[in-house]
This record gives sequence, structure tokens and C-alpha cells, in this order.
Amino acid sequence: MKMVKLLGIVLFIGLFVIQPMSFAQDSPKPEEIIAKSRLAFYYAADDMKAKISMELIDKDGRKRIREMTMLRKDDQDGEQQKYFIYFHQPADVKDMTFMVYKYPDKDADRWLFIPAIDLVKRIAANDKFSSFVGSDFTYEDVSGRNPNEDTHTFLRKDKLDGKDCFVVESTPKQPSEYAKRVSWIDTANFLPLKEEFYDKQNELYRRFEVGETKEVDGIPTITKRVVKNLKSGHRTEVSFTEIKYNLGIEDDIFSERYLRRLPVQWIK
Amino acid sequence: MDKINGRAIFIVLVAGIAFFAASCVWAAMPEFHGFAEFAYVPKGSDDNTKRDDFNLLEQRLQLKTKYLFDGNSFLAQKNSSLNFKGDFTVDEYFSGKTDFELREFNLSTTPYDWLDLKAGRQILTWGTGDYLFVNDLFPKDYVSFFIGRDDEYLKKPSDALKMSFYPSWTNVDFVVSKFEPNTIPEGDRLSFFDSFQGGIAGRNSDRDLLEPPLQPSNLEYALRTYRNLGSHELAFYYFRGFDKNPTSYKDEAARQLFYPRLDVYGTSLRGPTLGGIGNVEFGYYNSREDSGGNNRLIANSLFKVLTGYEKDLGNDLKIGLQYLYEQTLDYGNYKANLLPTDFVFDESRHLLTQRITKLYKNQTVAVSLFNFYSPSNKDGYVRPTVSYNITDQWKATLGANLLWGEDDLTEFGQMKQNKNVFVRLRYSF
Repeated sequence: MKMVKLLGIVLFIGLFVIQPMSFAQDSPKPEEIIAKSRLAFYYAADDMKAKISMELIDKDGRKRIREMTMLRKDDQDGEQQKYFIYFHQPADVKDMTFMVYKYPDKDADRWLFIPAIDLVKRIAANDKFSSFVGSDFTYEDVSGRNPNEDTHTFLRKDKLDGKDCFVVESTPKQPSEYAKRVSWIDTANFLPLKEEFYDKQNELYRRFEVGETKEVDGIPTITKRVVKNLKSGHRTEVSFTEIKYNLGIEDDIFSERYLRRLPVQWIK
Repeated sequence: MDKINGRAIFIVLVAGIAFFAASCVWAAMPEFHGFAEFAYVPKGSDDNTKRDDFNLLEQRLQLKTKYLFDGNSFLAQKNSSLNFKGDFTVDEYFSGKTDFELREFNLSTTPYDWLDLKAGRQILTWGTGDYLFVNDLFPKDYVSFFIGRDDEYLKKPSDALKMSFYPSWTNVDFVVSKFEPNTIPEGDRLSFFDSFQGGIAGRNSDRDLLEPPLQPSNLEYALRTYRNLGSHELAFYYFRGFDKNPTSYKDEAARQLFYPRLDVYGTSLRGPTLGGIGNVEFGYYNSREDSGGNNRLIANSLFKVLTGYEKDLGNDLKIGLQYLYEQTLDYGNYKANLLPTDFVFDESRHLLTQRITKLYKNQTVAVSLFNFYSPSNKDGYVRPTVSYNITDQWKATLGANLLWGEDDLTEFGQMKQNKNVFVRLRYSF
């Protein structure tokens, strides 16, 4: 009887506990992980406001500061997004505003307003890998990449600062700035905790690391991040403060009207 | 001695303003931003202007501030602000002359969801060109541009009321402004073609430019209506006012020129094209005081077509190309009415421009080349610049204005003796 019971338990564990676990370990769908990660990181909530502070630090330790307020609004998760950015610092770009309509399947539309000459300039945006305001972030890092542009492979599970992570390798289908990207994605909330970019010689040249994650309005949010260019030694430390989600930011804020005239109800 | 006086006044001014700014901050007033700049522009050729060796030697302090109305006042509830920007200068070209230019001083408010107002001195810009303007009839300062000041100073402020309406299906800007002419070369700082002198003139030029007197019938009106069509932006423009350049003769014997009445109707389209941004803009200029083109003293009507294309080639390299075509209308009437001694201007003009910009060192170094070339006028203008953001505060700019032309009376050809090199050092705060 005991043997039967034991066998039953073993069978139970084998069938319902071990097998699903091993299933999860062997073949979690990497496409799904990357897609979920993109939503968790770039599409959290329906809209967002944050103050972003970037420190651009060269290999000799010289610092430059970029400080801005960002508004973001999503049409739908994973679909079109609108961004509005107001620059506080440095002084020579203070009061400039920048607006992006991001589309999942075509080039973004970008506008820059230069108040000194009252000029709304359309910015050619087909190069997603150009640097955002001189930092180590590319435009694509700031607004995300369509998961369909890469082939994803699940590498392993790993632990990073005590957090369980999926490690996924992504290879661009079309020639791209990088040849390979490896991402460590938190299994609990799908935030990307680390990313490494390899060039065509398979050398690691760029690395993202998360410095701090917080719950904001119940949403796990990366509040500090560092990206380092390992070839030049230049790095950018970014921190998000005054984060707020689901504010009900009106759609018409993302227009030439408010580029020219700051929406003081959102940005002072 | 004059120079020393100028500098002394400048230092006193700076100290005074610094003290004022500090006391304002102390009193929790709005904060001041701006920059201090030193500019030196030696020139190459010896012409008949006031100085042989330089076009500009200037110190400049720009201050800007903004006051947001708060509390429960009417203006606060209507998201209103007072905006100020002013430049103090010490100009060594005129022996250390100190000056103050009020660039912006306006009240901006939103009385209704569908209406914005901006009243007072302001900079106004619209249209799709890059250094080329078809439907932007707001005043420009070409002297500042050619003597090597920052691009910002190409735009001159207007005293205006700007009303912006936002019905659901379009956006409308309507501007009523006082006439303000373009600042153009007059011989003291830049030499130019003066028909009264029969060629390129400097200080010998003694033209008299007659501005329309300030009265209600001489107000100018500019209208733009625009909307997005998908990723493209479509706009229509209307302007009723005066030519911003003194293109027409009032009294030849008295060497008087004036700014003739002008209406402009135009349209533009801008948006993604072939992996870049394309634009096309059209403008019909109706010379109201000579719409038949029969008066040899008054500029004829004309039309302008501008097309442009800008592309990001990656690695912080951008190129921009433009083509502008201008055609004088009723050219037959113009020619038929000329006197034998008159200078004859061409019927049409083709102008090509090209801009290449490359950024280096985490976008702190910008190398740019802007080139204007007119195959019909056989003239051109090359403007190379290199700028370096040494820190977030300090920026150094080096560039040149290289104007050339086969003839003396074409747009750039008349400026060929004004070649210069500009150096600017700016501290922003």
C-alpha cells in the first residue's frame, strides 16, 4: 500500500510538477519573452510622464547633462506611440521640444521645435541607430524595436542580482548596427535587466545594465540604467524620476500646437 | 578710447544685469537664461565699407526669462505667460557702440481650448525651406547672416498679434503685424549692388529707403492653415502686406526706393519621401502696385517653387538638397518699358542648395557645409562651419561666408567682396 502511495506521489510529481518545470526550462518561446519584455518596458500603462536625467560621461570622466520631461501615450499595446519631450538642460537647448510618432512597421515621424527662430523642423528619421542627444542611447533604444525584426533563441535561465532571468539571443534578420544582442529578462516582470550588443566580429561593444527598479503605481519600472560603449569608454547614466502612469494625457498634446507652446498643464 | 569706453560700459552692464538677475532670483522671480558671446569676423577683400579688415567684432549678452501666471487670476487659468528675450551688444565695428535689441516681449495665453493668442514682440517662422523662404514673409536680417552672427539672428522680431485657431479639421494661424523691413546690406558694413551707383557700392551708397508710414491701412496680415495627412503636412498660406525688400523706385532723382505692396498666395507639402523628408512649396507673388508689369519702377509679380529633400545617411551624417525656381511674370511688359540706361534683370532664376552635416565625438562636434549655387545667375555662396561644444556651457564656432559671382548685380555676385571668416565663442547659462 505504502509502495503504491509512494509510486503515486512519484508519478504525481513526475507528471505534474517535474514535467511542466522541465518544459518551461527547455522551450519557453523566446519570441514571447521578447514581445512581453517590450510591452513591459516600452508600453507600461496607457500613458506616462517622467523627468529624465542623463549623464553623458566620457572615458576621462567629463560629464555632460541632458535633462528633459517626457510624455508618452500609447494608441494600443505594441502599436503606435506618441512621445513629447521638453528639454530643460543644457542651456543651449533649453525650451526646445521634440515630438515623435512611433509606428511599429514604418519609420517614425519626428519634429523638433527651435524656439529661438520659431521653427518646427521635420527630422529625417530613417536611421534608428543614430545617437539620441549625443548619448549612448540610439533612437531605437529610446523607443523600442519591433520583435519581428530579429530571430530569437532561448539560451538559458540565469540569475542576476538574485533575480531569475531568461537569457535570449536576438539576431537581426536584415543587416543592422549589431550582429547579435543578448538580453537578460526578469522572469517575474519581463523587464530587461541587462543587454549586450555584439558587432560583426562577435565582439561585445555595448552593454546596458539596470541600476534600480521600483514599483510605480503598481507597475514595475526601471528607474536607473547605464549604457556603456565598451569601445570608446563613453557611458550614459540615465535616471527616471517623478514618474506617473495613466494620467489621461490628451491626444492633442502631441501636435504642432503644443510643440510651439508648452502644455503647461503637463510640463512647467 | 571708444573701444575702451564700449568695453567699460559692457562690463558695467553685465555686472548690473548680473546683480539684477541675482536680486531677482533672491526675490523668487523667474530665473534668467541666455548666453554671453564674443564674435570676431575678419574679412578678406578690401571694399568701400567702413572697415577694411573686419565685418564684426562684437560682444553680446542675451537674457531670456518667462513668467508663468499662477494663482487664481484670469491669466493663470488661461495658461498665460509673459516671455522676454533681449540682447545687449557692444559693437566694435561702430567704435564700441552699445545697443539693446528686444527680441521677444510678449504675452501668450489660451482664452479658449480652440484659441491661442500671442501678443507683442515675437519671432515668427513658417514654411518648409532651409535658409530659403517662399511663404515666410516675416522680416529677416540678412546683414547679421552675412557678417557671421548666429543663425538665430537671420530672423528679425515682429511686433504682432498672432491668433491660432484649432477647429477639429485644421489649424489656422493668423498674424497681424506692423511692417518691419528686412535688414539688407546698405554699404556701411557690407557692399552690394546699388543701381544708383551703377555697380557694387559701399559707403558711397546714398539711397533713401522709404518705409510705409505706421497707420492701420499699412498693417500686414499673414495667414496659414495646416493639417497632417497621415505622416505628411499640408499647408496653405496667404500674405497681404509689403515686399520686405526695397525693390521699387519712388523717385529716381532723389534716389528713393520703397517697399511695394505685395500679396502672396502659397501652399506646401512636407513628409516622408524615399527614406527621407521631402518638401515642396509654391508661392505666387502679386505685386499689387504693378500687377500688369508695365511700370519699370516697380517690381513685377512672380512665382516661386521650392523643392527639397533631406536624408539621414546614418552615423550622424545628413544631407539636404533644395531647388528653387523663380520666374518674373509679365517679363515682356517689363522689358518693353525699360529705358536704354536701365539695368536688365533676368526673367528667371534657378538656385540649388546642398547641406551636408556630420557630427563627431558624441555629437559635440558638428561639421557642416551649406552651398548655394545658381547656374542661371552664375553665382553662389559657400558657408562651411565647424562647431564644438567644449562643455555643456562653452561652444566655439568657426565658419566662413564665401560669396562669389560672375556679375555684379546678381544676388550673391553683388556680395562677392564680403567674403569673411567668423569665429564665435559662447557661454550659455
